[in-house]
Amino acid sequence: MMLNHLAKGLRARITALPDGEIRSQFIRLGLVEGAEVRCMDRLPGGTIIVEFCRQEIALSGELAASIAIDQL
Amino acid sequence: MSVPSVEHKPHHHIRTESLPGDTLKPRVVLVGNPNVGKSVVFNYLSGLYVDVSNFPGTTVEVAKASYLQYDLFDTPGVYGVSSFNDEERVARDIILNADIIVNIVDAVHLERDLFLTQQLIDMGKRVCVIVNMIDEARKQKLAVDLATLEEELDVPVLGTVAIRKEGLDGIHALITRAREGRQREALHAELHRMLSVVGSQAEALLVLEGDPIIAARHGIAASDAAHREEIYIDRRNRVNRIVHHVVKDVQTRKLLSTRIGRASVSPWFGFPILAFVLYLVYLFVGVFVAQDVVGITEGDIGKGIVEFHIKEFIAAHAAVTVTATLLDDDDEVIEERAERFANGVKGEADRWRSMRAWVAERPAEYDFAFENPWLVLFFGEFGAVTMTLTYLVFLLLPLVLGFYFALSILEDSGYLPRLATLVDRTLRFVGLNGRAVIPLILGFGCVTMATITTRLLGTQREKTIATTILQLAIPCSAQLGVIAALLATAGVQATLIYTGVIFAFLVLVGTIMNRSLPGEISPLLIDLPAMRLPQLNNVMKKTGFKTWFFMKEASPWFFIGALAVSILQVTGALVHIMDALQPLVTGWLQLPREAATAFVMGLVRRDFGAAGLYDLSLSPYQTVAALVTITLFVPCVASLMVMLKERGLHEGMIIWVGSLVLAIGIGGVVSQVLL
Repeated sequence: MMLNHLAKGLRARITALPDGEIRSQFIRLGLVEGAEVRCMDRLPGGTIIVEFCRQEIALSGELAASIAIDQL
Repeated sequence: MSVPSVEHKPHHHIRTESLPGDTLKPRVVLVGNPNVGKSVVFNYLSGLYVDVSNFPGTTVEVAKASYLQYDLFDTPGVYGVSSFNDEERVARDIILNADIIVNIVDAVHLERDLFLTQQLIDMGKRVCVIVNMIDEARKQKLAVDLATLEEELDVPVLGTVAIRKEGLDGIHALITRAREGRQREALHAELHRMLSVVGSQAEALLVLEGDPIIAARHGIAASDAAHREEIYIDRRNRVNRIVHHVVKDVQTRKLLSTRIGRASVSPWFGFPILAFVLYLVYLFVGVFVAQDVVGITEGDIGKGIVEFHIKEFIAAHAAVTVTATLLDDDDEVIEERAERFANGVKGEADRWRSMRAWVAERPAEYDFAFENPWLVLFFGEFGAVTMTLTYLVFLLLPLVLGFYFALSILEDSGYLPRLATLVDRTLRFVGLNGRAVIPLILGFGCVTMATITTRLLGTQREKTIATTILQLAIPCSAQLGVIAALLATAGVQATLIYTGVIFAFLVLVGTIMNRSLPGEISPLLIDLPAMRLPQLNNVMKKTGFKTWFFMKEASPWFFIGALAVSILQVTGALVHIMDALQPLVTGWLQLPREAATAFVMGLVRRDFGAAGLYDLSLSPYQTVAALVTITLFVPCVASLMVMLKERGLHEGMIIWVGSLVLAIGIGGVVSQVLL
């Protein structure tokens, strides 16, 4: 399952991140394989807001579609 | 957990590059993620005198101040040191040249922020750490053990609440204790091997992490992405271990953001809140500043007092024809009187006194027509000195102050990233990322100011697209006022056609550029900080810096622009240009021949262009055609100059010539279809 399909309010564990520079950016933020996230909201057009480690980040739908998760 | 300390061989701290405003004092550099309160600390330490300048070779602004025996540098907020975008490259170069680093972290988000801290330590820099917002951590029931953090990192740590100035008096002692922290042994060994090649541990680390620019500086190949990831993952694990030791009560999961923060990015409330915020900004900047304040500063003070006294002073002994025009409350002409003073107004003081007495206290405008061409050049109708002064100080300055004030409040409240999140989807249609919303909004204030702000966009591609849209399709506040007035007389249908054409054109240009320019839109990945009440003190200081920086950057261009037009006028070239434009204006655009004057004047100031259309008694459809042309037409000379500087001569000229062709082309098509 990909992060862009996570319904509002549900939690998930990240299983795979996309490669390349964006991966380094995720690692810096603390978003690594095994991290737990929660979907806070979903905006029209696919933008998704997730919470992890007491912080919230917004991701575009395309980016979320490249992150594999296991729903908890 | 214990991390073995590593024996330190001597490191070479060489200062390879010069920074703006370089002195020989030790350099203290503030480094931190965005939204950790770095600017508050910088403002606290810097005092009143701050020097803001472009970092050499880039368009990123860097603030520098004197602090005790140090030179204090601010850096753009970054999540790590690398070369992913312009801001990171600038932060990286300042950090490489730092003697002491003050790293500011957010007590609530140590998992995220300590990654940068550990990277700075891995660079072998002397580091000290300010853990800010400890009040917020307390509120969220997080116990942050600063002593353990200090032990783990092996650098001094200070807890603060910067916005309340709590703990900030300890920064000086903290800086004197700054030291090289603890690194992982394997990495340290690897660094020392690379050290023999590049000469400094900081650069050695960046090469190992695959920084292509640093590697190229030393003529060696950067490590591949896999190696960077290995180091990153290792660092991430170490940081997570540290946080595990330092922060207690992590298990209590709570909804952390405020209700407003949550609602502002929810599908149901987000867009109404966005509309409300934009409406407030419009009321403040568009109505209060642009109309009320500027009405007083430009009309009464600028033209009425300052410009009048300058011209009267210059006209003291120079041949001049003065025209006094009496106006009623609606600025309609009541009566006019012109007199020639061959020996100047001081030379013929009695006649001048009687002319002033005739005007008495009634509202009036004076026009000084000098006979000496040099005086016309600098003090005439479009005099470079008088016009620049009035325009810059009395029109633009209040507007820019107003806009930056509003922007600083949005920034400090934490709303800006939410705004970017909401509009990201929409802006992708025109090839932009959500962050581009800031320059686009600023464009409605002043396109010149907005063009400078495109610097905050991540990629060259986004800068090009945003600049093009700004220069082409966004009318600035000066122009908007006149456009609104003209459309009010032209009627609802004309207004709808005008708005439709401009909007369709904006989308079309954005879409075409998005399709044709190489590269992709950078994906939205944005941190939403907690919403906070902005501190007035900090907002004022930010507004002051930004405004000062803008005026410093743009003022010479406004003067040069005014001078150029003034020269065209004095030499008579202006008339020839207008004559040359006649066929296009009357034939293709189907407008009265005087409209050519309005278009050329639009070069000086966009609103002059639109204002020139007032007196032409156009039909509603002619108004639409004229306004479409004027809106798409070249922005004022100052914004052209700033664009050339920001985007380079080549790209700038393409955009400029393109806008000329498109303005006349589209305006003509509209005219041919409607009329």
